[in-house]
Amino acid sequence: ISAVRQKTKLTSLRDCSLELVLNPLFTTTLNELILFYFFMTQLISVAPQISTQYPVVDHEFDAVVVGAGGAGLRAAFGLSEAGFNTACVTKLFPTRSHTVAAQGGINAALGNMEEDDWRWHFYDTVKGSDWLGDQDAIHYMTEQAPAAVVELENFGMPFSRTEDGRIYQRAFGGQSLKYGKGGQAHRCCCVADRTGHSLLHTLYGRSLRYDTSYFVEYFALDLLMEDGECKGVIALCMEDGSIHRFRAQNTVIATGGYGRTFFSCTSAHTSTGDGNAMVTRAGLPCQDLEFVQFHPTGIYGAGCLITEGCRGEGGILINSEGERFMERYAPNAKDLASRDVVSRSMTIEIREGRGVGPDKDHVYLQLHHLPPQQLAMRLPGISETAMIFAGVDVTKEPIPVLPTVHYNMGGIPTNYRGQVIDHVNGEDKVVPGLYACGEAASASVHGANRLGANSLLDLVVFGRACALTIAELHKPGEKLSPLRASAGEESVANLDKLRFTMQNHAAVFRTGPILKEGCDKMHDIYQTLDSIKTFDRGIVWNTDLVESLELQNLMLNAVQTIQGAEQRKESRGAHAREDFKDRVDEYDYSKPLEGQQKKPFEQHWRKHTLSYVDHKTGKVTLKYRPVIDSSLNEQDCAHVPPAIRSY
Amino acid sequence: MLSSFVAKRLLTGVCQAAWRPSIIGMVSSRGYRGDAPDGPQVDLIEIPLPPWVERADEPIDTKRRRLLYESRKRGMLENCILLSIFAKRYLNKMTYSQLQQYDRLINEPSNDWDIYYWATETYPTPEVYQVEVMEMLKEFTKNKNHEQRLDAPSLDYLDEEYQLDRS
Repeated sequence: ISAVRQKTKLTSLRDCSLELVLNPLFTTTLNELILFYFFMTQLISVAPQISTQYPVVDHEFDAVVVGAGGAGLRAAFGLSEAGFNTACVTKLFPTRSHTVAAQGGINAALGNMEEDDWRWHFYDTVKGSDWLGDQDAIHYMTEQAPAAVVELENFGMPFSRTEDGRIYQRAFGGQSLKYGKGGQAHRCCCVADRTGHSLLHTLYGRSLRYDTSYFVEYFALDLLMEDGECKGVIALCMEDGSIHRFRAQNTVIATGGYGRTFFSCTSAHTSTGDGNAMVTRAGLPCQDLEFVQFHPTGIYGAGCLITEGCRGEGGILINSEGERFMERYAPNAKDLASRDVVSRSMTIEIREGRGVGPDKDHVYLQLHHLPPQQLAMRLPGISETAMIFAGVDVTKEPIPVLPTVHYNMGGIPTNYRGQVIDHVNGEDKVVPGLYACGEAASASVHGANRLGANSLLDLVVFGRACALTIAELHKPGEKLSPLRASAGEESVANLDKLRFTMQNHAAVFRTGPILKEGCDKMHDIYQTLDSIKTFDRGIVWNTDLVESLELQNLMLNAVQTIQGAEQRKESRGAHAREDFKDRVDEYDYSKPLEGQQKKPFEQHWRKHTLSYVDHKTGKVTLKYRPVIDSSLNEQDCAHVPPAIRSY
Repeated sequence: MLSSFVAKRLLTGVCQAAWRPSIIGMVSSRGYRGDAPDGPQVDLIEIPLPPWVERADEPIDTKRRRLLYESRKRGMLENCILLSIFAKRYLNKMTYSQLQQYDRLINEPSNDWDIYYWATETYPTPEVYQVEVMEMLKEFTKNKNHEQRLDAPSLDYLDEEYQLDRS
């Protein structure tokens, strides 16, 4: 038998003469959307089908949490504390979850620096979400915030303190006093510059006291669903290649975001949207995936964040003509305009052909006109990062930068109690046994745009909410409902397919030319997923296999993101389109409401996108669900009616 | 001499402030130091985490494979890129004792940022990690050849057949 071996490699996009520009603007032609996939080596060989017998271990718990970041740990700890026998399945050691990267802080209206009210925080968050956030969930989060921070403090989290020992709070973007009329608010509580790490360390330590069972370096493959109910999770143990089925009455998904679908993102290589994909494969929807937040300056390719402080110190953005182009887009603020203005300007420059580099697909951030002592003293980290990752000496050359994906507002739709919902016959319907929290979930508190320092708050509040809801509805030691013996066989079959399937041709992952019909292209690329295969046939610590599984998960997130973006014909928050520049709400809020006709649901865009994928074909179906406009208690906290968002 | 040796041994691992001379002598190896503004820092907050333990009886190949995964999957992007390229360059050539050093270096510290700051020499490396592999990592991080390190490398450098076909 002549084994036909043909390998094609999906390398980084640099290899192709493409104008692959990551961009926050989506046009009808979508030629700016870049999707970065994990590269895969594909191998064809005419090898005999190997019999696959994986040792399978079954576990029974009261609750299983997937993911051990801030949200997962808070949920696991809350459940264990309430007496539930809890398992936490994670592909990383808990203190190595992506939460550790968070250096900002947690917003809470404690009022330590000035008089504050959580209702002002509520207003800021609703406005920040561009009225796509569900106001009941935002009410819940901002009202719980002070209690959540005090609770963390009691757990031993060493917040930075003022001289009189109270928690120090600092200013952060988008936070105001008196419903936007009282100036900058100081609500961000932090632990020096390592709030994320401190949060993980504290919660992990606490959870161990209550006997949480951690399954570290286990890759969760799929949910075990039966009759529309979630009965647990099936996972692969990386250490020995065994399959583990965790049966539990309650499953909490806290797997984080999916930044890695994009060419340039600030996320670690672990942000692969595993939870979103698991939910999609179970036939459930994901919400608002097209809302992806960008930070204007990340190192081109690497994605490492270059702080705004650079521009604050005098750094300027340059195009291929050496022009300081921000002067045209924001004559007053210039390079210090707001983030989305800067991101859009950079993108327009690139699209109009004034990008730099061999592919003209990024711009430069110039710092070498600044005195070297200033650079060394004020921006030492930047000089390092630029050298380490871009090989650039900032005293001589400019840094290649690009708007970079930073956060995913969308995710698994839940109500304010953390229960996953589906939308059937025009009504929200709770999926029994399934909960979600953190960046993986969409409660939705961030709506179309997330405010800084609200994410860590989201983690702890909704992690706790999931635990509370479970404790309210269930008791520890409840008898598990029966599960068919073959549950999880599809996941195992998928593992086999990745490792052993016979193929006759190697399909090529096309990094392809300009994505003119982005959605069609994505669809074609999705079909080629069928041919991926690992070169590493082993079962112990098989990184190739894990990265292939992550690639499958990323693809599911990617197709939903691009379809949702293509369909949404408006600009709202982080979703900005050149061809549809305005927000399309049920009324035109820039004018007085009297005399206006309310647009029917189908004709406006102030609604959540729900996307479903048939994972066998890659076909995406989109549905829409209304935004929840009323708070939990109108007496206590009136909802904020939509208005034009200006700062 | 002995007591300071013992004290230093007890400080291994997680403690964020392990390198700060002022806290040598404190007991817990996983104590967490708050960052309060001024004054004598007496409140060492004890959050006991189980100490990192080296895996016993792990065959060298398994260790290498595990360390590859653990190099590529880190807490933040900077470490993901740095360590995966470092692993590509050095992991397959490391001796068993170097692998042990590397294992401890990337798995014992609880804050990934620490590893980054030590590798970039932003902060001094604690003595327990001042080993051969750390020197290799620091040298590598300096990027004297001004390479562009824009992403974690594709895994095909491990695919022997692919490498053979290419040659």
